[in-house]
Amino acid sequence: MPSSRILALLLLLAGVLVLPLIFPDPFFVRIVTEAFMWIGLAITWDVMAGYTGYLNFGHGAFFGLGAYATAILMVRAGWPFLLTLPVAGAFAGVAAVIAGVPTLRLKGAYFAIATWAVALAVQQLALVLEITGGPDGMRLPPFLHPQFFFYLMLGVTAGTFLLLWFLLERAPFGLKLKAIREDESGAMALGINPTKVKVQAFTLSAVPAGVLGGVYAYWITFIDPASVLADIITDQAMVMAVFGGLGTLVGPVIGAVLIFAFKTYFWAYLSDYQVLYLVILGGVIALSIVFIPDGLWGTLTGYARGRQALKKGVETGLSLNGSAKIEKKGGGENG
Amino acid sequence: MADPILRVDSVVKTFGGLHAVDDVSFQMEPGEIVGLIGPNGAGKTTLFNVISGYYAPTRGRVFFKGEDVSGRPPYDLAALGIGRTFQVVKPFPGLSVLENVVVASFCRHPRKADAERHAWKVLELTGLDDRARLSAASLTLAGRKRLEISKALALEPSLLLLDEVVAGLNPTEADRTVELILKLRDRGISILVVEHIMRVIMSISDRVVVINFGRQIALGEPAEVAKDPEVIKAYLGEEAA
Repeated sequence: MPSSRILALLLLLAGVLVLPLIFPDPFFVRIVTEAFMWIGLAITWDVMAGYTGYLNFGHGAFFGLGAYATAILMVRAGWPFLLTLPVAGAFAGVAAVIAGVPTLRLKGAYFAIATWAVALAVQQLALVLEITGGPDGMRLPPFLHPQFFFYLMLGVTAGTFLLLWFLLERAPFGLKLKAIREDESGAMALGINPTKVKVQAFTLSAVPAGVLGGVYAYWITFIDPASVLADIITDQAMVMAVFGGLGTLVGPVIGAVLIFAFKTYFWAYLSDYQVLYLVILGGVIALSIVFIPDGLWGTLTGYARGRQALKKGVETGLSLNGSAKIEKKGGGENG
Repeated sequence: MADPILRVDSVVKTFGGLHAVDDVSFQMEPGEIVGLIGPNGAGKTTLFNVISGYYAPTRGRVFFKGEDVSGRPPYDLAALGIGRTFQVVKPFPGLSVLENVVVASFCRHPRKADAERHAWKVLELTGLDDRARLSAASLTLAGRKRLEISKALALEPSLLLLDEVVAGLNPTEADRTVELILKLRDRGISILVVEHIMRVIMSISDRVVVINFGRQIALGEPAEVAKDPEVIKAYLGEEAA
């Protein structure tokens, strides 16, 4: 990364860090905390969808499993909160391995169907089990300290972002995932075991979602299947990632911020029309798939690179058509 | 004497009732180029898929450097040293040419910097280095076939399976690919070639295996095989023989 971009990133981080000091309004701190959470859910969902090419319709289940792990350990076993977070992550990770090993051996839609089914199963389990409190949910010991959750959520999401950035953009792992996305049987001929790599990716996407769920549970102090296992969690993370740009890390962050800001505004000022929010969400995803299949970020960077390639193309005598075509490619394949 | 690099022992592969490959046996010595020919649908690509682990043989066995590798998955075989190309080329279109080859280089060079260095070397050898930064989707057919070879080569294989890497190229491009194949052989890589263009296969192969309807009908030096009445019949029909 060029040093100017690192500087920009550090400035951004510093700005975010002092945010609650400048704007101590609890409502504002709360909104930003939740925005961090959605960023985390959107980027982890993108590990499978954007980088690996597999649609996970049950991402919310990992979030919910993490939330319940923390709640159960704190309420029923009296664990201190911070100790429950690794367990929440591990819980989600183990669930990903169990769901992933049989379904990720297969190519195509089986995985999508299976994740959807697993999410339903988890929902139903939480409803009927005694340890989860069934439909009544669970009440956690309250800890009313918005700043604490602000920094914790920021820490988990920023840590996840850095980990994913390193693994997906710097380490060999990311290229292997993209190779599988582009051509699974071709990747096999190059020494890549797709099932193994896909299960690793799935686990990588599940663990942080579980941790986020754990933090959320303690923050909100009350969870039930209708809140932490709702379909809308997966749906919203998907829309954020698709709208922002699949197969990148920055894209889902931008998507999460914009869509969450919109949602907050909508619910704050137009709460009479809450139902409309879902309609608009559906509209946004449909329109962005049709008009900006690479998402906001993918389209912007694609446009910038296209201009560059066009300039270079003139210099090296490449045909304009050819270089424009190169830039057209990319995320389009994953849709 | 050392084990043959590849030994195909009475391999049969059936799909339902169809015998796609029916009792084929041959072996390859290190540094040898063997041509695998036969009319369309003879089972050449199926045999390739069996050798490279995409299909398990229904019967018979495949030995690589003396080790029974029948039914082992492709990624294991790639790690052992079998590289292959695909007749229907399989570039990773969303990745750059360099990234395509880097992915394959991870097999021997797990560190990214090493893999990149190695990939550049391979691209220089195959003559794609000037297009390394372009998207693989932007390559012409000739470029894509070259990329196929580059990816297989990046595995540092001791056995290379080339499935129609010359077909569809213009004469200049074809000559360059033939040159490349010979260069690879001189580096000690054993090469099994499937090709339809007789001029190419007859000129580069040390020996030729001919199959028709899955059955092996001839095996020998190119000149002998070309005179074999069974082979002529398979290619030209009853009358000509």
